[in-house]
Amino acid sequence: MKILVVVSQTQDTEAKIKVSSSGDSVDTGGMKWIMNPYDEFAVEEAIQTKEKHGGEVVIVSMGPARVVETIRQALAMGADSAIHIADDSFADIDSFAVGKVIASEIKKSGEFDIIFTGMKIIDEESGQVGVQIAEELGIPHVSLVSKVVEIDPAAKKAVCQKEIDGGHMVVEVQLPCLITCPDAMNEPRYASLPGIMKAKKKPLKEVPVADIGLEEIGLTADSLGKAGARVKTVEIKVPEIQRKLKIIKGQDEPMVKGAEVESAAEELVKLLREEAKVI
Amino acid sequence: MSSEIWVVADLKIDGSIRQVTFEALSEAKARLAAKFGGPVCGVLLGANVSSLAGELGKYGAEKVYVVENETLKDFNTEGYTIALSELIKKHQPAVVITGNTVFGQDYFPGVAARVGAGVTMDAIEVDATDDKKLQIKRFSHSSKAIPTKLFLDHYPMMTTVRPNSFKAVEDPKTPEVINEAVTIDPGDIKTKVIEIKAKESDRPELTEADRVGSGGRGLGSEENFKHVYELADILGAAVGATRAAVDAGYCPYDMQVGQTGKAVSPNLYIAIAISGSVQHFAGMGSSKVIVAINKDPEAPIFQKCDYGIVGDLFDVLPPFTARVKSLLSQS
Ligand SMILES: Cc1cc2nc3c(=O)[nH]c(=O)nc-3n(C[C@H](O)[C@H](O)[C@H](O)COP(=O)(O)OP(=O)(O)OC[C@H]3O[C@@H](n4cnc5c(N)ncnc54)[C@H](O)[C@@H]3O)c2cc1C
Ligand SMILES: Nc1ncnc2c1ncn2[C@@H]1O[C@H](COP(=O)(O)O)[C@@H](O)[C@H]1O
Repeated sequence: MKILVVVSQTQDTEAKIKVSSSGDSVDTGGMKWIMNPYDEFAVEEAIQTKEKHGGEVVIVSMGPARVVETIRQALAMGADSAIHIADDSFADIDSFAVGKVIASEIKKSGEFDIIFTGMKIIDEESGQVGVQIAEELGIPHVSLVSKVVEIDPAAKKAVCQKEIDGGHMVVEVQLPCLITCPDAMNEPRYASLPGIMKAKKKPLKEVPVADIGLEEIGLTADSLGKAGARVKTVEIKVPEIQRKLKIIKGQDEPMVKGAEVESAAEELVKLLREEAKVI
Repeated sequence: MSSEIWVVADLKIDGSIRQVTFEALSEAKARLAAKFGGPVCGVLLGANVSSLAGELGKYGAEKVYVVENETLKDFNTEGYTIALSELIKKHQPAVVITGNTVFGQDYFPGVAARVGAGVTMDAIEVDATDDKKLQIKRFSHSSKAIPTKLFLDHYPMMTTVRPNSFKAVEDPKTPEVINEAVTIDPGDIKTKVIEIKAKESDRPELTEADRVGSGGRGLGSEENFKHVYELADILGAAVGATRAAVDAGYCPYDMQVGQTGKAVSPNLYIAIAISGSVQHFAGMGSSKVIVAINKDPEAPIFQKCDYGIVGDLFDVLPPFTARVKSLLSQS
């Protein structure tokens, strides 16, 4: 099987978020860049699929030079080769253009059986690129798959389970298809030391965005920047939610103990009823 | 482009309309109708859905477009994508909204790509500029930032909205019902639902619930989670969990709240033995009132909650639950 994984690099949102002086973007200075956590599930699922059915895993990623590090990580986990769509003006691009460019490059790379993507990127959290790629390629997709039940390459179909609000659903999909990966579908492996060594020699093709042929896919040079966006960020605020911070503690040590427990419970119920008015 | 604002109904497994649909209708009416100068319209896609038009009317829909089609009996990506895309091409609404549910997330980006629209997901505020551009707010960066997104010259302007972000307000109208025939070629349906199962539960669903009780790793076992269920049932609350609790096998993944689980914004969120990680807050940080019970006074959650007790859950929860019970049985 030929298996593709669309992998993105993201800001580690564990860090404190600072708005840049322009007010419409997040200051990325000093931020750590990591593989998008959902995409780790996608890479793992792809490698497991290859281990079961044979074939190759190809990583596709778009972004500036820094994303090569993330690509190498995916190769070290066990992917076979990678395509890097290199774009230095990347910061201002909107999700729509990202999906379009990635889809067009996938089309050029020949036939494939299955594509895995993450459900969303954790910095922008746009949550649309995976589904959009499937639409651009004219292939079916199953989003938010909690479990790939079965892949049958000969019959050209896959069976996937997804959790839906209030239950679950099992879907049979024709190959080639695209699957978007949420949390908890598998346990991503760490790259081993030999894996990391090997990754350095695995083929990595760099495609400058200028070679994409933007006009052919209905984009212009503007599309890669703010000017051509369909949706643009005009302002970013870091919400300062003011919490009341009324914490009931014990007398002698922080934990409430003995008789304090009863009075703490009583006080909390009272606060919730009379002050917060939520019960 | 017409001046119509569409809200596509999101249906539950049992075929009834999900609350987020009514919330979206009300918010569209309050924030967008006057600016666009057009009516708020409902859209129903499914099999045997015509009878639901009146319910959309109850929340202010002046028109309801209905596509009845056997292939739309259960939610299915291609069917929904084809039906909505065809309707959009024919009527050219200004704005199209649906809930950011598992279904909304599945087909809205595809429809947008197909009809050439701009799209955003999971809005928590919707508004429009004076020159009729949709403008929304949403969360990003693990809910630590709120960007405002402005739509630019691509129509329609499409967005999903987060459940529980807006108030559903009744505004009864008798909608004009417009039946639309859309041809869906069975050959175009490449994803087939082979099983659909509702979870047996009397508890409200997490994403819609007004109150949520959640347990973390500190519960220690699946068995101990009964303390959380008991409190939740007295409050009529949904039950959530942290990833650590899910990973430890105390409860299933569909209960996970957080960056990689569900996003909730109830009026009351009670966090029991939860440390308060960034990733957990990404899913519940917008709750109106947050209560924490934790034995560690240094737990980060005590820096970001409204009320809390520093104590052992096994000491504190039983008397707390008992008092809530007696209070609610009085009133
Ligand atoms: C990419 C990524 C995505 C993630 N996504 C999510 C997500 O979606 N949702 C999520 O929740 N997490 C997520 N996490 C995990 C997150 O980082 C934390 O590990 C997790 O939220 C911790 O869960 P917890 O609070 O239950 O456990 P812990 O951090 O272990 O906290 C347990 C708490 O229980 C308290 N406690 C123990 N015993 C008692 C007792 N008897 N009485 C009272 N208190 C007690 C302890 O003091 C402690 O504060 C993600 C992590 C990563 C890296
Ligand atoms: N620049 C990118 N390069 C490669 N994959 C991407 C990129 N942006 C998004 N993706 C993929 O699309 C998924 C959803 O991203 P998004 O719609 O941006 O939240 C991610 O999990 C990735 O699999």
